[in-house]
Amino acid sequence: MIQKKICLLGTSGVGKTSLIRQYVEGIFDKKYLTTIGVKIDKKLVQLEHQNVQFMLWDIEGADRYSVFQERYLRGAAAYIIVVDQSRSPSLIEGMDIHTLVRQVHPCPTVLAINKSDLETRWHWNSKELADYKELFDLSFHTSAKTGEQVELMFTELAELLTKER
Amino acid sequence: MSDLLQDIAIALDQAVLRCDNPLAGELLLVEGQSSWLSELLPDSQYQQPFIIEDDCYFLQDFMVDAKALWLSPENGRLRSGFWTESLSSGRTLHLEAVAIKQGNTQVLLINNQSEEFRQRQKTIQSARELTLANDKLQEQYQYLHHRLLAMINSPKGISDSLSPIIAAIENANFGVMVLDPQFRPMIENPAILEIFDYQKDEQLSTELPVETLLRLMHTQLPECTRILSTATTWSGELCWMKPPHTLKWLKVAIYPVKDDNQKLSHWLFFINDISRLKYLLQRNEKLTLQDPLTDLPNRHAFWQYLEKRIFEQQPLFLLYADITDFKQVNEFYGHAEGDRLLVELSGRLSSVLKKTDFVARVGGDEFAIVLNGVESVENCLMLGNRLLAVCQHPFYTESQAAYHVSLCMGAVSFPDDALTAEELMKFADLSAYNGRSKNVKGLQFYSQELKDASRQRIQIEKELRHGIENDELELLLQPILDLKCGSIRKAEVLVRWNRPGHGLVSPVDFIPVAEQCGLIVALGKWVFEHAMQLLKQLQELDLTIKLSINLSPVQVMDSSIFDFMQLCIDKYQVNPHYLELEITEGILVDDYEQIHRLLTRVRGLGMSISVDDFGTGYSSLAYLKRLPIDFLKIDRSFVKDIATDDNDKAIVLAVIAMAHNLNLGVIAEGVETSEQQAFLANNCCDSAQGYLFSRPIHFDGLVELLQAQKDGVSADWQPK
Ligand SMILES: Nc1nc2c(ncn2[C@@H]2O[C@H](COP(=O)(O)OP(=O)(O)OP(=O)(O)O)[C@@H](O)[C@H]2O)c(=O)[nH]1
Ligand SMILES: [Mg+2]
Repeated sequence: MIQKKICLLGTSGVGKTSLIRQYVEGIFDKKYLTTIGVKIDKKLVQLEHQNVQFMLWDIEGADRYSVFQERYLRGAAAYIIVVDQSRSPSLIEGMDIHTLVRQVHPCPTVLAINKSDLETRWHWNSKELADYKELFDLSFHTSAKTGEQVELMFTELAELLTKER
Repeated sequence: MSDLLQDIAIALDQAVLRCDNPLAGELLLVEGQSSWLSELLPDSQYQQPFIIEDDCYFLQDFMVDAKALWLSPENGRLRSGFWTESLSSGRTLHLEAVAIKQGNTQVLLINNQSEEFRQRQKTIQSARELTLANDKLQEQYQYLHHRLLAMINSPKGISDSLSPIIAAIENANFGVMVLDPQFRPMIENPAILEIFDYQKDEQLSTELPVETLLRLMHTQLPECTRILSTATTWSGELCWMKPPHTLKWLKVAIYPVKDDNQKLSHWLFFINDISRLKYLLQRNEKLTLQDPLTDLPNRHAFWQYLEKRIFEQQPLFLLYADITDFKQVNEFYGHAEGDRLLVELSGRLSSVLKKTDFVARVGGDEFAIVLNGVESVENCLMLGNRLLAVCQHPFYTESQAAYHVSLCMGAVSFPDDALTAEELMKFADLSAYNGRSKNVKGLQFYSQELKDASRQRIQIEKELRHGIENDELELLLQPILDLKCGSIRKAEVLVRWNRPGHGLVSPVDFIPVAEQCGLIVALGKWVFEHAMQLLKQLQELDLTIKLSINLSPVQVMDSSIFDFMQLCIDKYQVNPHYLELEITEGILVDDYEQIHRLLTRVRGLGMSISVDDFGTGYSSLAYLKRLPIDFLKIDRSFVKDIATDDNDKAIVLAVIAMAHNLNLGVIAEGVETSEQQAFLANNCCDSAQGYLFSRPIHFDGLVELLQAQKDGVSADWQPK
């Protein structure tokens, strides 16, 4: 069975851990417990014709307390940039990470605009947002809380990755 | 011996593995067998070679780096960073691996770091929670701010109470007030009434929320008068006490709303009760009167002290100081270093003072000092300069990088300059502010001159406002040369003011005033629109070159600027590819998000961006790299001596190299001699402007030059 390493990137508090938790365990916790370092979870994605084992790398958010470690990307089949639609700086930071990573590690990329259950607080209009989405292979409006588009995101990513071969 | 090592390894909760053949990657457990290890790596038996398999994916991945280290000829060590492992037994481990190469020995340590992990998580958790809470608040403020502005500026105005924004305000969980210029409330939401315990039907004698707030501002903020009279944006904290039981900390943000002519039309006040947050922060600290960071008395302790001295009628000098480059230190080295600086500086200040003097930290980077028993202004000056001199020695970061900061300091005397604590603080603040804006070093006394200056400023402001309406301004253009082909490709747009009774006033004399009073927004729009007219004429003459227009920091923050520019471009039908905006280096750090957004949108239209006065401000590569910009303009002060001064030469070369590395073009300002031109051209500087080529000239003059250029008449600076 094929195995794929997927990294979740983004600034702190955008919901990387929560997305994985929702996807793997179907649980959402509204209490925030920040990730230190890395935690890897496994999840078997069952597609129509084959199964894929996802190794989901939950990486500590890059912010002023922790520098982004490029090293963790080695061997990644794809990465997901997570941003929080209730906090506009998170989009800029996510895009910065994307720009950086794209250069050192070209691979399929996903934009997860998370916390879709909350009100949008940023001032980007749909045109600008569409421009940002353009820079990714896939993009989703997810909610780790309600589960909206979470499963869909991972499944579509698995499909994309298996189709590529 | 081996038993001892074994005990140590176990005590350290550490496993020691050896790798004799890095190519094969086989590991051998030598010390530190433990239950967690056998659960993590079931194959790890003493002295039994094994290979890390899929089941410990993180380690398997780290082995790639470890092997690379072990195979390299150099000695070294490499840490994996923390990772978390959930074992099938349900147990959670927090681990870190270290690969070591020392001579012929290759070792892998696996440390069980639960304690360190928890420690780090605890500190970072609270830091991140605070950041999030703060972001959220900021977001809400900004959101409502934008919406409210839009509403106030809409033809219907605030009268339309059905507007959804009213509902948003009503339901906001922080206080919102919209006031007219005379501070009469037009909108107050329920949250604000709640914050101030105000019952609408109470008898008339109770203070309105706005009254309470203004009272707090006047007594707790020396800069209050300046803020309100110049209609400046402000945010900060105020403390509200209402005996017997109420003590609230309020985070207050004030935004002036101005109409197109920069006249104040409304005030927006946002107030948030942050008592709980404060409480959390102060829980473990000596409450209320001491600044937890520096251990100095805080603002409130200072007020108490000052009022007591005044009450006792003790003559004194009050000094007010702030750190000129604090923001830069914070941005450049991080907030932890900013904190270190404050601690170090307060130590240095205290060491110069006598026991009978009093020093307090009264704001982010502001200190207030009371000197007692100082007899004369001369003595005060001497002491003040001794205080300023504490910055002569460099400060050091934790990693021992040296840097300098300076203080700007204002002084007033009691009872000579003022009789109340508020006035003293206000005048001291004004003096320091004045010193800072004039960039003078040394202690600034509150003086007649200062009073005169502020009167003069008001006069200029009044006339300038008039001048903009009456078209007393005119535009000059200074050609910018492409150094490779020697032709004019661009011109910088500069504004002059034909001030009645004063003749032609140069921008240095009125731009700062315009910036201070906000008139710069109207002025900037005037310049932009008139520049469009010039560009249109150039287009019609088929002499199009790029026009480069200055954008001041205040304009960048003006949310309507982009729409305005777009409107002008449409109106005059000019091609935005022939437009460039010049921003100064300083604003790059002020509000990253806003400027990023503005520049991105502007660039989307096809305009280019240059960074003016480069080198004079604080230049963080990080910002340059991340912002959408096209050119750096090297400040004239570096260009001046490039032919002779090796330092300047080196700086200019470095800037050129750095810029080209980031794919930015370089423009040199203030080129006056052909030696300078030659040096720049030989070192791949792209463009230049300066008296050597042309002074700022009128439009007709530029047209002549361009026409000559088109006709192939070469000017004498051009390469033959
Ligand atoms: N309403 C809502 N809250 C969410 C959502 N996703 C995450 N959160 C909350 O946001 C906070 C941060 O979530 P985390 O998943 O810990 O964020 P993270 O990106 O892993 O953060 P770091 O580990 O610090 O980098 C938590 O309080 C979550 O409950 C969502 O989709 N909707
Ligand atoms: Mg996390």
